[in-house]
Parts: sequence; structure tokens; C-alpha cells
Amino acid sequence: MSVGAAPRPRAGAVVVASWRRALNEVLRVRGALLPATIAPVIFMLGMTGQFSRLTDLEGFPTDSYLAWIVPLSCLQGAGFAGAATGSNLARDIEQGLFDRLLVAPVPRAVLLLGPILGAVTRCLVPATAVLAVGLLLGAEFTGGVLGVLALYGASIGFCAAAALWGIFLALTFRTQQAGPLMQQGVFLAVFLSTAYTPEALLRGWLAGAARYNPVTHVLELSRQATVSGLEPSLANTLPGVAALVGLILVLGGLALFGLWRIGR
Amino acid sequence: MSHGILEREARVVLALGRRALTVQFRRAQLLMPTFVLPLMLLAVISSGTSAAVDLRGFPDVASYLAFMVPGTVVQGTILAGLTAGIALASDIEFGFFDRLLAAPVKRTSLVLGRLCGTLGLAILQSSFFLLVALAFGARYPGGAGAAVAAVAIAAITAVGVGGIAAAIALRTGSLALLQSLFPFMFVLLFTAPAFFPRELLAPVLRDFSVLNPLTYVVEGIRALLNGDAGLGDPALGLLAACLLAVCTTALSTGALQQRLRRT
Repeated sequence: MSVGAAPRPRAGAVVVASWRRALNEVLRVRGALLPATIAPVIFMLGMTGQFSRLTDLEGFPTDSYLAWIVPLSCLQGAGFAGAATGSNLARDIEQGLFDRLLVAPVPRAVLLLGPILGAVTRCLVPATAVLAVGLLLGAEFTGGVLGVLALYGASIGFCAAAALWGIFLALTFRTQQAGPLMQQGVFLAVFLSTAYTPEALLRGWLAGAARYNPVTHVLELSRQATVSGLEPSLANTLPGVAALVGLILVLGGLALFGLWRIGR
Repeated sequence: MSHGILEREARVVLALGRRALTVQFRRAQLLMPTFVLPLMLLAVISSGTSAAVDLRGFPDVASYLAFMVPGTVVQGTILAGLTAGIALASDIEFGFFDRLLAAPVKRTSLVLGRLCGTLGLAILQSSFFLLVALAFGARYPGGAGAAVAAVAIAAITAVGVGGIAAAIALRTGSLALLQSLFPFMFVLLFTAPAFFPRELLAPVLRDFSVLNPLTYVVEGIRALLNGDAGLGDPALGLLAACLLAVCTTALSTGALQQRLRRT
């Protein structure tokens, strides 16, 4: 009896399997999502409580600081959910699982798609939690359905970019100890922008940093949901979309480069 | 307790404190969030919100950065305290704490030793924050003596926060739980006037901040560094820090007794 070769797995099936595995980590570890969900909510409440009077400044586009901070916290939660992909990959590398995956008869890039999709799915939880708490406390959907779509689109895109950043670092350092670097990269990207005040009110070095930081445009895209001075429009949407595409292309290129180098 | 026993217990506390610090610095990458994260937040908040000095009711300060630094120092005390809890939970999970329990020393000294390490870490950390801010343009009209006093208040506060974290570690023995406490501890920071004057906080937060001991700590440190009694009361800050440290040390010692009764 001749033994036939095992059927070559389809790339789509591999992506779905690794996506489900990424989600299982959340479903099977009790409370795994809790800190990642609570942290942006606490930051949102804390920042609003501390800085709510900034809206009294001339040039501030809205009179609700909560409305200004809600999209920022959504992006923050999504970014941290994305960066956690890097920590999980680093753990798989340290424990030898990723070496076994690398010998699978599928293109290497396919191995990254499942974890990224898992992160994107996970990021909807903190983003929705932040949005729900924000609405309960008085923020409004001034941008309507289009604004909400922009907010979720920005969160998903930013999560994917953060996941690629985490993956690049995991493939470079190959240790979970790079975890803080992944998170702090996201932290810096989010806060070196118009996080607290609009560009017109920024002073000093941060004004320059925010101008060139692509996340400033991503924030503008997401703020169409709740900030009354930023109505949904192509002019407010296209720069954010372009920034996300650019981030994903650059960080995706770096992640693929790291993947290409591993094991060679 | 006789003088000899006191001396022996003091040696135990110091040795355990030294061990706590040594272990921390041997794994310097774990200290990165404690030392770097508050400075990053200081950089972005002080630059991002500096237009606030134009708000009506904002105090007239010589340096906006120096106004913000106390918030960073207090944030550091929270992280240093949490680090103590994480390290203690790690000792419990990996069995080192059980070996310490077999030693012929008072059990209270085991908790105090850990908190002694937190005190040392907070002194280094707060001094580091003040120096870095100074290098980036913060001015402390209160002078060097006031800066030393500010570091002392911060270090005692870190012991207080460390006491809370140690009590949770002793009660649960869970490293994972302590690691996930990070965002919850920030409630302490955000319910105090860490980065803005109390009068300009949101009304609900302003009312709530009266109940938070860190309010008096941060205002006391702010008054010291800025040499302006209108910004806070250093004596009240010191009192709040000491009360917090005493109460939470008692809490963690109680948690240890409970743990011993359970096991």
C-alpha cells in the first residue's frame, strides 16, 4: 500500500486556526481582557477629571473634554490590544512553538495573519467599553453613524499597526522581556500627538512632534464620532486613512523582514 | 522587646531591604516602567497641557514643569509600591517566602524588610525624577532642602502604597493578580490633583479628592518645590504620608498573620 503525501493545508484554514487560537487565549484565561479594558477607561476618566477645564481655552473645538478624550482612549485600548500580539508571539518563540509553526508548508506571512486578526477582534472590547462608559457619562455621537464607523475603523487600523509593531519587536528580540518596549512604543505614538489639546494649543517640542506624527491624523479620523467641531467629511477622513495605510505598510514591511530573518 | 532583639530585627529588615533592591536592579529591564513611564507621561502632559497656565484660576508658578513634577513623583511612588507587591507575590509563588518564614525572626520584620526596599527604591526614583526635570528646565524656588523634604515625603508615601500591594500579595499570593493591578492603582493618582490645581478639577473629582491621602501628599510636595505655601501644606502632606504608611503596614502585617493561620 503506498502512502500518499499529506494534503497541503490551505492558507485560509491556517489563518482561521491561528485566529481562533489567539481568541482562545482570551476566552480560556479568566479575566484576561479585564486589565486591557479597564486601563483605558480609568485613563479616560482620570484625564477628563484632571483636564476638563482645558475646554475653557480659546480655540478648543468642543466644550466637552470627555468627547475629546473618548476617541483617544479607544485608540489607546486598541493599541495596547495590538501590542499584546507581540508579547504572545515572543512567548511562542521562547517556548519553541513558533519554530514548529515555521516548518508548516504555508507561506510564512500567513502565520502572522491569524494573531493580527485575533488582536483586531480583541480590540473591539476595550474600544466598545470606553465608548459605552463615555456615552453614559455624557459624551454624544455628534458624528452619527459615519462618525462611529470612523472611530471603529481607526481603532481597528491602529490595532493592526500596533500588532505589526509588536510582531517586529518580538521577531527582533525573541523574548517576552521586550513587552514593555512594545507597550511604550504605542504609548508614545498615541501621546506625542494632539492627545490632550488641539494642535493650535500645543506649545514647544510637542507641537512639532504632533505635526509629523501620523497618529495625530488617526486621532482626527476617530474624533469625528464625538467632537462637535470635527464633522464627518472626506477632509477629516482621508489623512487618517492615509496615515493608517502608511503605518501598516511600513510596520508590515518591518515585520516581514523580521520573519524573513528568523531561522536563517 | 530587649535592645538586642530590636537590633537583630533591624538587621533583618535592612538585609531584606537590601535584597529587595538588589533583586530589582539585577533585573533592570523590569525597572524601566517604574523609572521611564512617569517621565514619559510628564513630558507629554507638561507639553500637551502647558496652555493651561492661561486659564483663569491657575496659580502663578515660576515653572509649569515644576508644577507638574509632584504628580510624576507621586506616580513613581505608586509604581514603586506596586513593584514591592509584585516582588513579594513572586517570592510567595516561587517558594522563597516560605523559606523566610522558617527563619528565627519576627514575621513582621519580613514585611518591613520588603517595605524597606520600597523606601530605598522610592528615594532613588524620586531624586531621579527631580534631577531629570531640573535638566529639562524645571526650577525649584523652594531650594535643595525643600527637594530633599519632597523626596522624603514621597518615599514614605511609597511605603504606604507598598503596604497596600503587600497586603494584597499576602492575601492572594497571586503574581498574575498583582501584575494586573497596574491600572487600578492609577485610580489613586487620578483622584488626586496630580497634574492640575484642585480648584480646577472636575467638580465630582474635586469633592472626591478630599478623601484621597495622595491629594495632601502631592500638594505638599508641590508647595515645597515651588516655595509657595498657597499650593499646599507640606506638614499635612507628611502627616498623610505617615498615616498611610502606618495603616497599610498594619494591614499587610495583618494579612501575613491571616496567611499564617490559613497555611
